Amino acid sequence: MTSLDPAPNKTWELSLYELQRKPQEVITDSTEIAVSPRSLHSELMCPICLDMLKKTMTTKECLHRFCSDCIVTALRSGNKECPTCRKKLVSKRSLRADPNFDLLISKIYPSREEYEAIQEKVMAKFNQTQSQQALVNSINEGIKLQSQNRPQRFRTKGGGGGGGGGGGGGGNGNGAANVAAPPAPGAPTAVGRNASNQLHVHDTASNDSNSNTNSIDRENRDPGHSGTSAASAITSASNAAPSSSANSGASTSATRMQVDDASNPPSMRSTPSPVPSNSSSSKPKRAMSVLTSERSEESESDSQMDCRTEGDSNIDTEGEGNGELGVNDEIELVFKPHPTEMSADNQLIRALKENCVRYIKTTANATVDHLSKYLAMRLTLDLGADLPEACRVLNFCIYVAPQPQQLVILNGNQTLHQVNDKFWKVNKPMEMYYSWKKT
Amino acid sequence: MAQNISPEQSGGAGGGGTKHSDDSMPVKDNHAVSKRLHKELMNLMMANEKGISAFPDGENIFKWVGTIAGPRNTVYSGQTYRLSLDFPNSYPYAAPVVKFLTSCFHPNVDLQGAICLDILKDKWSALYDVRTILLSIQSLLGEPNNESPLNAQAAMMWNDQKEYKKYLDAFYEKHKDT
Repeated sequence: MTSLDPAPNKTWELSLYELQRKPQEVITDSTEIAVSPRSLHSELMCPICLDMLKKTMTTKECLHRFCSDCIVTALRSGNKECPTCRKKLVSKRSLRADPNFDLLISKIYPSREEYEAIQEKVMAKFNQTQSQQALVNSINEGIKLQSQNRPQRFRTKGGGGGGGGGGGGGGNGNGAANVAAPPAPGAPTAVGRNASNQLHVHDTASNDSNSNTNSIDRENRDPGHSGTSAASAITSASNAAPSSSANSGASTSATRMQVDDASNPPSMRSTPSPVPSNSSSSKPKRAMSVLTSERSEESESDSQMDCRTEGDSNIDTEGEGNGELGVNDEIELVFKPHPTEMSADNQLIRALKENCVRYIKTTANATVDHLSKYLAMRLTLDLGADLPEACRVLNFCIYVAPQPQQLVILNGNQTLHQVNDKFWKVNKPMEMYYSWKKT
Repeated sequence: MAQNISPEQSGGAGGGGTKHSDDSMPVKDNHAVSKRLHKELMNLMMANEKGISAFPDGENIFKWVGTIAGPRNTVYSGQTYRLSLDFPNSYPYAAPVVKFLTSCFHPNVDLQGAICLDILKDKWSALYDVRTILLSIQSLLGEPNNESPLNAQAAMMWNDQKEYKKYLDAFYEKHKDT
C-alpha cells in the first residue's frame, strides 16, 4: 500500500472529477440512503467475470478490485498491467487481499448462493427470450419459404433419414418446421390436447424437462406421446404455429418466457454446443439445451410451462414414425381469416394484426374440428388479455377455397385428408379460411 | 506501430505466439466463459447501444455476429458492416478473433476482413467486451492508423476524403451483400 501522506513531490493523477469534488459529509444521524441494486451491483462486480467479487483482490497502486482468481489468471495470461487502467502490475505482490470488501459483500448479500441463483435465473430467462426470438424468426422464414416452394402436399413420415425430428424429406424447410415447435407453440399444443382428450401432460413433464437438456433422451418421451390419432393431429398442428406467433412480438413474449424445471442439473450448463449432431432437427434442441440448462429452479406451478415442455417433446417425437397412426401423411395449410366476414375492422382481426394468417402443418387425419379447436387455443394464448371481451367464445367456421373467390364451408368431422382430396387438387399448401361465429 | 499491429503476429486464438497461444493460456472451464458471454449478451441488450449490435450466431455462444454502423461525420456514415467474433476458451483473458464479414475498404482492414487493431492483439485486456470491441472498431473506421496499413491503397487514398468517399461508396455497394 502506498503511503497515505502525499509526498510533497508526488504528482497525483487525478481525474477532473476527483479534482473538483467536495468531501461528502459524514452521516451521523439515522439517515438512510437508498441505493439501486443495479448501481450496487456495478460496485460489487468483478469486471473480468462480471460476477460478484469473490475473494477480492485490490491493486495496490490504482485500487481496482477483482476476484482473486480472475486477476491472477489475467496477470498470468496477458500483459502485466491492471486490466482496468493499464497501470503496471509487476506481480501478485502488486495486489493485496481485501477482506473488508468481502465482508461488506457478505453483509449486503448474506446468502450469496441465493443471489447467484437469482442472477442465473434472470439471465437464463433473458437469454432464452433472445435466442427464441431469433429462432422463431428464422423458423418463421423457413416455414413461409416452405409453404411457397414445396411442391408436394403430402409427406410420408420417416421418408428421410434425418434421425430426430422430421424425416428430413423436404430438406431444410422440413427441419425448420419440425423444429419450429420448441419456441412458443408448445403450450397451445398441450392445451389443445387437454381439450380433446387428456394426455399425460403431467406424467411426462418432468421427463421432458430432462430430455430438454439432452436430445438423445427423445425416445424416452415416446410413451407419453402415444395418444390417439386425434391428439397427435392437434399436436402437430401446433407444429407450424410458430410461424404465426413469430409474427407477433407480443404474443411470443407472452409465451416464450419459459419457466424452468427444478430438475435441471446445473452441471449441464456449460455445454453450449457439444452435441455433435448434424440433423437439422436437432439443432434447436441443442439451443434449447443450453438455455434450459442455464436456468435454475423456478416455479413449477406454471402449468403453461409444463404443457409447453410437453409440447416440445411431442413435436420432436412426432417425426419419428408413430406406428400407431394409421395415416402417417402430413399436410400443410395456410390458414387465413375469411375475406369478407373477417375483414380488417373485425375486432378479432384488429387484435391479431398481422398474426391472423397461420401456417400449419399437421397430420392429414386431423379433422376440421380439430383445426377449429386448435385455432381457438392458439388465439386465446396469443392474445391473452387483448382478446376482445365479445370474442371470448371462440367458435369458428372453417372454409376451403377450391378456387379463388369461392369458399366452401366445411363439415367438422371431415379429415383434412378428405378435404384435400375433395377440394384441393393442386400441389401446394391447402388454403383454408376461418371466420368467427358468435354461437 | 503505436496503435495497430499486424494480424499476422500472434493472435489471441490459436496463433503460434508465445504468450497468447491457447495451450499456454490458463483456461477456465467453459462454463465460466459462456456465463460471461451470456452476461455480456444481456448487458448488450439492456444497453441498447446505438450503432452497434451483436448476437450469438446460431446456438453456439462462442461465435457471434455483430454489426456496426459507420460513424457519423465520416466517409463510412450510412454504411453498415457485419463482423464475426470467435471467442477462444480462454476468453476474456485472450481476445476474440474479430473479422469483417462485409468487405470493408479501410486502411487497417485487409480484403479477407482481418482487422489490425492493437486492443485485439497485444493491448487486449480482460475488461474489453463485445460492446467495447465493436465501439473501438467503429471508431477505427473514422480514424484509421495509416502508419501500418493492411490495405495500402486505402491508406494512400485516405488523404483525399472526397475521392476516398467516392471509391468507398462504389466498393460498399458492390460488396455489401456478400
